[in-house]
Amino acid sequence: MTSAEPERLGGVVRALLSHYWRHPWQAVFLLAGLVAGVALWSAVQIINSHARASYAEADFVLGAQATHWIRSRSGDGIAQADYIALRRAGFRQVFPVVQARVSTADNAPLAIIATDLLALPASMAGEGGDALGDANLDWLAFVQPPYQAWFPAAMADELGVAEGEQLVLRDGRALPPALIAAREQQGRQIFMDVGAALSLLGRDTFTALAVGPISPDTAARLAAALPADLMLEANQQRLDLTQLTASLHTQLTAMSLLSFAVGLFIVFNAVRFSLWYRRPTLRTLRLMGVSVRALTLAIVAETLVWSALGSVLGLLAGLGISHALLPSVSASLQNLYGAVVGADLLLDPLTVAIAWGMTLIGLAFALAWPLLLQLRGPVLPGGSASAGVLADARARRVLLIGAGVLALAAVGVYWQMASVIEGFVLLGLVLFAAAWALPQVLASAHRLLGRVLAGAPLVQRWIVSDGWAQLPALRTAMMALLLALTANLGVETLVGSFRTALAGWLDQRIGADIYVNSARLDTRGFVADPANAGWLATGHARTGVTIRWQGRPTKVYGLDTTTPDTRALPLAQSAPDALARWAGGERLILANEQAHYLGGLRLGQTVTLLTDGGPADYTVAGFFHDYGNPYYQFYLPREALARGWRDVSSTGLALWLKPGVSAETAEAALVAAGVKPGEWFAQGDIKRLSMKIFDRTFAMTAAMNTLTLLVAGAALLTALLAILHERLPEFAQWRALGVTRRELLRVIAVPLALFVTLTWLAAIPLGALLSWLLIYDLNVMSFGWSMPMLWSPLPALKLGLLSAGIVALVLLIVLSQLTRKLPQAMAQLGSTQ
Amino acid sequence: MLSFSGVVKRYAQPEGEVTVLGGVDLSIAAGEAVALLGESGSGKSTLLHLAAGLDAPDAGRITVGGQTLAALDDRALAALRRGTVSLVFQQFHLIGTLSVADNIRFQAALCGRLDAAFEAELIDRLSLRTQLDKYPHQLSGGQQQRVAIARALLHRPALVLADEPTGNLDERSSGAVMALFRDLVKAAGSALLMVTHSRDMADYLDRRLWLRDGRLHDDVS
Repeated sequence: MTSAEPERLGGVVRALLSHYWRHPWQAVFLLAGLVAGVALWSAVQIINSHARASYAEADFVLGAQATHWIRSRSGDGIAQADYIALRRAGFRQVFPVVQARVSTADNAPLAIIATDLLALPASMAGEGGDALGDANLDWLAFVQPPYQAWFPAAMADELGVAEGEQLVLRDGRALPPALIAAREQQGRQIFMDVGAALSLLGRDTFTALAVGPISPDTAARLAAALPADLMLEANQQRLDLTQLTASLHTQLTAMSLLSFAVGLFIVFNAVRFSLWYRRPTLRTLRLMGVSVRALTLAIVAETLVWSALGSVLGLLAGLGISHALLPSVSASLQNLYGAVVGADLLLDPLTVAIAWGMTLIGLAFALAWPLLLQLRGPVLPGGSASAGVLADARARRVLLIGAGVLALAAVGVYWQMASVIEGFVLLGLVLFAAAWALPQVLASAHRLLGRVLAGAPLVQRWIVSDGWAQLPALRTAMMALLLALTANLGVETLVGSFRTALAGWLDQRIGADIYVNSARLDTRGFVADPANAGWLATGHARTGVTIRWQGRPTKVYGLDTTTPDTRALPLAQSAPDALARWAGGERLILANEQAHYLGGLRLGQTVTLLTDGGPADYTVAGFFHDYGNPYYQFYLPREALARGWRDVSSTGLALWLKPGVSAETAEAALVAAGVKPGEWFAQGDIKRLSMKIFDRTFAMTAAMNTLTLLVAGAALLTALLAILHERLPEFAQWRALGVTRRELLRVIAVPLALFVTLTWLAAIPLGALLSWLLIYDLNVMSFGWSMPMLWSPLPALKLGLLSAGIVALVLLIVLSQLTRKLPQAMAQLGSTQ
Repeated sequence: MLSFSGVVKRYAQPEGEVTVLGGVDLSIAAGEAVALLGESGSGKSTLLHLAAGLDAPDAGRITVGGQTLAALDDRALAALRRGTVSLVFQQFHLIGTLSVADNIRFQAALCGRLDAAFEAELIDRLSLRTQLDKYPHQLSGGQQQRVAIARALLHRPALVLADEPTGNLDERSSGAVMALFRDLVKAAGSALLMVTHSRDMADYLDRRLWLRDGRLHDDVS
């Protein structure tokens, strides 16, 4: 390259970029596409990487990552004297934990967790070993009366608790003054000092003692040093949040990539139009002796400028969106996995680099073909106008062939599919195959409509036939719209099906009137007490142990086989007479669907569990639905559980009331038996809470869907404004022929409405296919839950109305542009263009 | 049919306001064919646009078929252009998505004035019979211009306004199309105001006017 060449190249770049000064809207749309795509993608990336960082911090969670627990065999809790004795004996890794469930005056359940922050082992105290997590907090106020109750901000918001306020519980007790603060892994629990919790709950024993990292030798010494009533057990609840949450993060990433793809459609449109409009400039430059190489370099330089600008703005927008979406994602993560993510979001250099790389690749993808056509063509315009028509038909054919290839690849992937990532590759292939086939579908339907209208009045035929002139410009926008509509419909059907399945499942599983969870209650004695016979129809005490199966914490519950909910336990898959044989003590076991789909367990297969007496074999008789649970779970008859494990703990009591008995009667009996308010929940409260959690979990999905649809709307607007810009002289000429403004608007609107309607119609079966894949394959692979797909026309109708609204809005903008620009175009009629 | 009375039109330019038409008076009778000559930038096209109601004068009065354009709203102006006035431009502006036959009938269909006999006459005289099922992009430039002429005349407008209608054609084709255009305008019974910078084309018409320094002059050459 000679010294004059960079200067010449600079001139060429300036000449090319000058186009955007004259047409700032195109610059805006190009940037809008890039920003929209990058923003949504980076928002999810920021959240994902932030969540991963939070999981790493989860190692410091109170007790959850403790290596061992010390519990009381009798379930009475652990005396303070025993704890002090252990500490004095040199076991400095032992710290106390108090956990309790209480309820507010409005009956909202609350979880309380408490510890002695000063006793936490250094390795579990949080970053930098600072027990309070934040040096600015007043730890003296935390450990001294009146103490502090730490409320996570979101929880304080929900409960309407302000800083310094004391939340009053159902029984009139008041929590310590609220501090709106949270340890990273506090979760949706109120955190306080162990002294405050004991005083609040009226207890003098700890729930358990947690043990920090210790060597096997120390563990053996510790076990030997325990009083007879206490036992040391390995913490089976240690969980790998990264592994557990991988599916959800993959789903979020897939949705963000879809948004990026939809954003790329806008970019593709904008780049194509900007090259199209600059044909005369490119031609003039070539006539002036600028080489194709120099022009290519100039456009590459321009691309670098756009990609850098788009990435920076997109990342900034992404940071903003991630702040807005974080509460929804946090809710999903917490509700599904109990994983908590903090509130501080940061952009890491890798996300920045990937965003720029993706933008560059996207722009290169959008530019390559139109640029090749522009630069490989003759310097002077040649050929006839039919070249454009033929080029459009050729482009549709090429896309259709591409769609066929993608569809074949999708079929191949479907038969081989074994992981969540492959599942999303399949969804991507299906979506893009449909999007690429769409232009040909629209063209064919349009041709058919033309034939149907062959005998219609000329003006009507003209209005419909104008679709042929609009289709090339609308092609990309319609593909983007199809992707957005399909994703919306697919996910809506998934969420709707899941919601219905969950509600039905809750109706069957939460069959009892009252659920009690109290360490104070002698469940068997309470149910058998003749004093309760007047109101109690039946009671079902549930016991359970936590073991480790396939490397995951796994709960084994012991069920009373005689109670109504157990007798009618809905099974997703089962052997003949499964429930009767299981209840009959044939060493049969019921497993949740997660154990089947994620753990690979089959019906009739033998599962080996480690009991107190060594490994024991059970045959799988059925799989039960267990929505929302990330863990494996097994059901055994209560007696079978007791035979296998000595130290089973009570996990609750379900009570069925006799007809006509009020809940107050039962509650009075519970109080008389020593149960405190807040330790029982009515059936309706549990169902309401479950559905609320479900809706909050899927709020993120709805937000992403809406944003994707907005991006598609922007693509539509870009395309229509491009049509307006390109065809303004033609529209002016029509006006000169006497076409009214209303007729002109009809010419623009009718084909557009036709294409949008066809795209919407195409999205309905495609959305059903997507939801079918999501429900029967992706969802099962991701979470291990199965459910029937419930298709309803309502989401499609709602989206149809929404699309109509978007089209109306876009048309309104176009009409205002038309009104503004048409007079000038009419005044210029006849001048050489 | 068309009258201008003291029509003034000015344009704002960076260097100040420019008066393009400085009090133009003009009258064209029904059936009369008038050529408007002038140098580039003299305001010929502006005058034509004002006559069609595509632009509004700063002062003066324009009437078409007895209707004062300033008194007409957008809808009435559209109705005027639909039925009374026809425009023919150097660019043909045919509707690419309609066949030649539909393009010819387009404006007549808009104003509901289809005349099958006259349509057949136009098609034959413009040698378009074999092109009717084709689409505009399949025609040559000359053929497209003939379609535009047929479209402009089929509904027998009272006034035809043409702006360099043969500007895109070669010299030989231009003469033939011009002669045909004039004859067909006469056959339709329309008045014609044609802007051109070619004296040869102007010679085909009844009267020639020269626009110079914003005013009309009779051609005395």
